[in-house]
Amino acid sequence: MVKQDYRTCIVLTLPIILLLVFLVYPVMSVIISGLVSASGSSFVDTISSDETQFTISFTVIQASLSTILAVLVGVPGAMLLARLKFRGKSLIRALIIVPFVLPPIVVVIGFLQMFGSYGIIDTALMSITQSTTSIFNLAEGFTGIILAHTFYNAPLVMLLVSAAMERLNPEIEESAEILGADSFSRFRRITLPHILPALLASAILTFLFCFMSFPIVLALGGSTYNTIEIQMWNAFRTPDRGGEVSSLALIQIVITISLAITYIKLSRGTDNQSGPTTTIHTVSISKYKKWEKVAILTYLFSILILVGGPIAAIFRAAFFDPVTQRYSLDGFSYLITLGSEGGIQPLINSLFYGGMATLLAVTIGIPLAYSHRSKARGLSTLSSVMILLPLGISSITVAYGLLIAIAVPTGLNINPWPIIVIAQTIFGVPFTARAIEIGLKNIDPNILDQADSLGSSRLQRLLYVELPLLIPSILVGAVFAFAMAIGEMSATLFIALPQNYTLAVAIYDNLGVRRFVEAGASALILVVICVVAFLAMEKLSEGSIGGTL
Amino acid sequence: MFAWNELRGFEMTEYPVRRNPKKILGVVAIIIILVVASYGILTFWKPRFVVYTYSSFMDWGDERAEAVLERAFAPFEEKYEIDIDFVILQTDANTMVSRLNAEAANPIADVVIGIDNILILQEATRNVLEPYESPMLSLINETYINALDPEHYLTPFDFGLVTLIYSMDTINTTTHPQLDNLTLADLATPELASSLVTEDPRFSSPGLAFLLSQIAISEEFTGENWTEWWETVQGNIDVKEGWTEAWIDWSSDQNKHLLVSYGTDPAYSAQELGTAPDTAIAPFHYEGSDWAWMQVEGVGLVKNAPHPDLAKAFIDYCLNATVQSEIPLNQWMFPVRTDLTLPSVYDYAIHPDEVSILNTLLDRVEIAENLQTWLDLYIDAMTPG
Repeated sequence: MVKQDYRTCIVLTLPIILLLVFLVYPVMSVIISGLVSASGSSFVDTISSDETQFTISFTVIQASLSTILAVLVGVPGAMLLARLKFRGKSLIRALIIVPFVLPPIVVVIGFLQMFGSYGIIDTALMSITQSTTSIFNLAEGFTGIILAHTFYNAPLVMLLVSAAMERLNPEIEESAEILGADSFSRFRRITLPHILPALLASAILTFLFCFMSFPIVLALGGSTYNTIEIQMWNAFRTPDRGGEVSSLALIQIVITISLAITYIKLSRGTDNQSGPTTTIHTVSISKYKKWEKVAILTYLFSILILVGGPIAAIFRAAFFDPVTQRYSLDGFSYLITLGSEGGIQPLINSLFYGGMATLLAVTIGIPLAYSHRSKARGLSTLSSVMILLPLGISSITVAYGLLIAIAVPTGLNINPWPIIVIAQTIFGVPFTARAIEIGLKNIDPNILDQADSLGSSRLQRLLYVELPLLIPSILVGAVFAFAMAIGEMSATLFIALPQNYTLAVAIYDNLGVRRFVEAGASALILVVICVVAFLAMEKLSEGSIGGTL
Repeated sequence: MFAWNELRGFEMTEYPVRRNPKKILGVVAIIIILVVASYGILTFWKPRFVVYTYSSFMDWGDERAEAVLERAFAPFEEKYEIDIDFVILQTDANTMVSRLNAEAANPIADVVIGIDNILILQEATRNVLEPYESPMLSLINETYINALDPEHYLTPFDFGLVTLIYSMDTINTTTHPQLDNLTLADLATPELASSLVTEDPRFSSPGLAFLLSQIAISEEFTGENWTEWWETVQGNIDVKEGWTEAWIDWSSDQNKHLLVSYGTDPAYSAQELGTAPDTAIAPFHYEGSDWAWMQVEGVGLVKNAPHPDLAKAFIDYCLNATVQSEIPLNQWMFPVRTDLTLPSVYDYAIHPDEVSILNTLLDRVEIAENLQTWLDLYIDAMTPG
């Protein structure tokens, strides 16, 4: 028995040790070495410069505005998704998450093609007004950044909030209705308090993602608008500014970690509410009043343009070459071309790194979830810190740390694919660990007792009882981790040599040299892979995506 | 005890006997190890001769860069029986230096191509390079050696003149006569400033060349505080991250007429169109002559390179006519071997003897000492509010 405990202890602490070695140590060494050997500006210089202060305030302002907009757009959708009864709901639900898991660089393409100058809307308006020059461009500067962030995060709000709403006990609403509450007061007194924790959690998560946003601001913001992440990347790329990189990383980590802690606290609060079995009372659209129908349809139409538009634009971008103004299949022939000029190598790399990272993220996520639920207080706190750390540390910091502290000393920079897998694993762990933790919580303890009394060993119980019960949660976490890995660009670009380029990096690469259809076709493939993965997962796990985040 | 046995019996009859979980885990582990190992072996990085360069190097011709590099360097590979691995980093030259710095403890690159006459002034750049004086230097004009690096951390490879260009489809010297003798004051007018696309001097070498040109002109000719010009144009001028982004913006947006680019662009335009070019040059005009900035790009030996002797031979080979003659039509720069005949479209380019060189107004020491301060001042001037 003592031996068993000892083994369990090793298994439970192993992921924490791994994260200490591959996440905490590299990041700390970046920060400390930069601050101590301060080449360039010191921490005080950095934080007191006009540039940094403008960057910080812009980062906060854009993240707040994006969050507000994402919530405003997302909540009605969440209510419809939970309340409305219609065919193909699970398909819609799987599709809604697509923007969130799309690689940011793909979002940029879709966004420019839809809302940018000479994009779909602009072209249409130009032909209506007979104008020869661009008259409509929402994809640039401040507006572009906010809109793209809304597109990105509104689906997140929709899913998290609708998941919470679906657990609303219909009896409470019925009682209220019988007692004469109108629909507005029902919303204010019953629905809102019920979804508030999920709403706040999704708002914080949205804020966090917008706060650390990199490729979108980089591509749409020009050089005027910088987030902390971008200023850090800029400082890295300018020789002799190591001190600034470290100072900015420190500032960013302090802010994001406090947000991440708040988020975890809030999402804990939601845990103990109504069980997963209750489901909200659903209605079909024909039950609504006429003006309500109009409002719903208007909303759906705007969502279709804001969220569906950029995705449709990616589809167009895969075939339509804006340079020659012709439709072509070059993008797809690129995808089946071997060698360094073709897309097969990046595609294989994407799948292999993504697959490996997912496997690792699940393998690490399972014991991490167990130790999070363990009764040993220190272990539980430590593991929850480890789960949220990757959410709060920017991918650039992680990549820089891994390169300096792990790749170069071990000589892995010659062929750095294991480093890329490690980086992608780190970004996937929060998703797997959290999904599995939720799954664990929902396991009926009686089943485990039965397994014990039937004489199964700990390993047997884990393999034949707990893991099969956890499979839906593992799948949910795995698909999220996979989507994160396959769409990851910043860290991969940072670490990779050309033979390690993934499809996401290849898109960036092709965009840079104006091979638009090649970029578009690669983006389309990524979209298809993500959608297929989510549909498969949705089928197998019966719609428990919302609880994951 | 009896009850326990009965339970056991129940289990045996109702459920199939489970296999040993350790076996299953073992099989899964073996499969994963096999997959990973085979991927690892397939992509195993054989020790090779590595050349770092930036994206778009030699990639502006009719063929892809790979074919051009293969043709130019095949004789070298044959002679030394090696494969050259051109690692084309998807970045600018600055990031290349940052990467070399990050790898300084254990470098994998032997040679780096594409560091220019300003970047070499930074200590971080010289820290990752090893001086090497090639015997082939006798073949090239000393001007380029001195303009790039008299200390021989870098050997000149190619050069270009950074200047303003405009598209003749949208404006011309009739609509805008000031294009013929352009000054900074002309550019600062809202009309021209809002039609100008340039590059961020922190990350782009033409962008930095433009900033230094502007500083040199302010110090030498107008006597104004140079930051005031940027404060005037801030909000109107379009600063893109790099040359490629700027080019895309300039060529696709019809309201953008002017671009900070190279004096060879009319030649490129003529080559693409097969006719006379639709792109023209508007160099700065002060005190009766046209001015442009000269950018010289070099090839350097990486400090502690794995194959230093090969690297030196490679640097020598870069000045060979086989390599140098690929530069004009693929890199759209001038080869530093001025004894080679240029393609006929180069008649449309401006040549170094047709302009005065702005570099002569700012000496290397002054740039090296002030570059960081200037960039900080530039950022301050361009930060809104």
